[in-house]
Amino acid sequence: MSNDESKSHVDSEGNAPVRPHDFDGIQEFDNPMPNWWLFLLFTSILFASAYWGVMHRYGKETDPGKELSARMELAAQEAARKAGVLSNPILWSMSRDANVVKAGKEVYVASCAPCHLPDLAGAIGPNLKDEIWIHGGQPLDIVKVITEGVAVKGMPTWGPLLGRQKIAEVAAFILSHHQPPGASAP
Amino acid sequence: MCTTALKETSGSGCGGKCGDNCPGAIARAAAARAAVQADIRKAAADPVVAGAMVPAHLADAASNIVLPPSEAREGGISAKPSLDMVTTFGATGSRVMLYPTHVPGVFYKLRGLAGFFLIALYLALPWIQIGGAPAVFFNLADRRLHLFGLTFLTQDLWLAFFIVTGLGFALFTITAIWGRVWCGWACPLTVFLDVVRKVERWIEGDGLKRKRLDSEPGTIGVYARRILKHGVIGTMAAVVANGFLAYFVSIPALFKMMLDAPTAHPGAFLLVSGTTVVLWFCFAWFREQFCIVLCPYGRLQSVLTDEDTLVVGYDSQRGEPRGRVAAGGSAAGDCVDCGKCVQVCPTGIDIRHGLQLECIGCAACIDACDSVMDKLHRPRGLVRYDSLAHFKGQAKRFWRPRLVLYSVLLVLGIVVGAFAVSSLRNAVVSLTRLSGAPYFVQDGVLRNQFLLRVLNKQSHSNWFSLKIEGELPEGLVFQGDLHHEEVSSWGETQQVIVLTLPLADWHRDKPLSLVVYDAQGRVIARKPFTLLGPETGPQVKVGLPRSVEKETHS
Repeated sequence: MSNDESKSHVDSEGNAPVRPHDFDGIQEFDNPMPNWWLFLLFTSILFASAYWGVMHRYGKETDPGKELSARMELAAQEAARKAGVLSNPILWSMSRDANVVKAGKEVYVASCAPCHLPDLAGAIGPNLKDEIWIHGGQPLDIVKVITEGVAVKGMPTWGPLLGRQKIAEVAAFILSHHQPPGASAP
Repeated sequence: MCTTALKETSGSGCGGKCGDNCPGAIARAAAARAAVQADIRKAAADPVVAGAMVPAHLADAASNIVLPPSEAREGGISAKPSLDMVTTFGATGSRVMLYPTHVPGVFYKLRGLAGFFLIALYLALPWIQIGGAPAVFFNLADRRLHLFGLTFLTQDLWLAFFIVTGLGFALFTITAIWGRVWCGWACPLTVFLDVVRKVERWIEGDGLKRKRLDSEPGTIGVYARRILKHGVIGTMAAVVANGFLAYFVSIPALFKMMLDAPTAHPGAFLLVSGTTVVLWFCFAWFREQFCIVLCPYGRLQSVLTDEDTLVVGYDSQRGEPRGRVAAGGSAAGDCVDCGKCVQVCPTGIDIRHGLQLECIGCAACIDACDSVMDKLHRPRGLVRYDSLAHFKGQAKRFWRPRLVLYSVLLVLGIVVGAFAVSSLRNAVVSLTRLSGAPYFVQDGVLRNQFLLRVLNKQSHSNWFSLKIEGELPEGLVFQGDLHHEEVSSWGETQQVIVLTLPLADWHRDKPLSLVVYDAQGRVIARKPFTLLGPETGPQVKVGLPRSVEKETHS
């Protein structure tokens, strides 16, 4: 970088050029912008054009709203698939799975035992060992009662607190104290 | 294209020669400026003056580069600094590289110490373990921030308000007192560039030698040195980039990533290699262009300084008129116009033009000028840290309204912030009523149901025990066997707490509290609550039709 190049736009007095306008005695220099700065500017303009073309005009999905709802739909399907569809036979078979019952017991001890007692004999809440079911004794009925609660009697709505997985586990734990239909009574 | 680079002076005022031709950011009086510059040129062109102080090695260099004497005196700088232009922007917009010479002095040594300490701290923090976590760890995967033993979770985000405002007030106060001290002493770019320049000097030689090497046709030895230099600088960039990633993934995870194939962690690999390339580019080529054009922090600091702020400046009252040593007499000032302050400047300004936005406060010109003053047996400090007002001959002033305001805000921020941080506990405890009615009455027994959540914020599991304190009514029963609970590290537990009480024993407005203790018996949380019951008397049973109640006993 020679000395001459870097000084070439300066006049013989060593003064940098000034733009012609003058406002209240304030003038503006007319020095060049750094090339790297201009490079960033023009690259940004090119990138913006390419981005608009790819993302909003010629891409595979040009409407961000549609793209979002398509992804939300996929996510909802995935969640439903993971959670599984509960049915009476599935819950009965879960109640014979030692791991599920163990997980269900942990939830039971923390959340249910204060009212239904650790041995399910019932105190504040009803007995869960006997064959008397106030709100229905089918496995799905039990899941429904746990999820929605029984407001007037103080059974809370556990759905938002525990989630589907834990509710299924705790239902399986309760069912593990009962015999599935068709099984010979002990 | 009429692009325009505006040459501004930073701060509200400018010192030295700038007093009578101050552009005041943009405005200028062309005649006054021309007069001053003519003076400077005249002084520079005077062969007697020019010859007086040019050291031998500079004279040699001048003959090699074949520059006019006035330019040779500016040493490594090809364009003479002026207030109209940025020295490092060429006439065609090209990047004018500078070759600042090295003059070790008091400030160079102190800044070197500060830089060593800061780099050591930067590289060491992820290694230091405090309370089971690195001293500073932005755990993005688990959304946790570890800061010197404190742990911040997402719900502690409100504390960021105090941290950000605290840093803001600290910036205001420090900048009002010491100007751009951050830029010169603590900014990572400045600290790293100091090391880069040291490496450059070791491998390729000092400024003038590097300039000669760059302007001559290269030999194999020159290219080998250049490759070695970029190898060292690139390695530095890689170390800094990896150290940066360690703050987000911790050291063990970083090592694991290094041993794995890059395709196993494409995001992290791209981040680190991209950061390495950007840092190498900054170290090798971009350098203080960042400070002059891109850095918002430097500009912010520039507007926070005032006439009484400590800045690096030139004492024009003592220095002017510039002249050679022997020409002395009463008329000559202390500045011998040797140009050393310009040669050493990494941003290519002449500090004698006054405070300018390019000045990053690195104090290299102070060291350079002091070394010359020492040789001349004149007092140091012709270029020094001082306030613009004092340079103009006005009295020094420390306390001024803005500094009082900033200090009060800073102290207030620190007190409130410390108070807020002290509210952090090893666990987060919340006690809420369970969904449904606020209370239940069954067989003359009042029942309140609560949900307790305990979130353990420690790196090890802990036992938490519960106790109810206050004016315990006769007959209060805590249902269930849940008096202590083990919570795993970073784990959360939720417990149902059911309290029953014969309705006859219930009185309203009896304050109780649930106290949570940790394994060491320390109080983690004290949650006040009251037992709710029928307001108008025991005979009313809210929301419980008799038929339903009967069923309960089945």
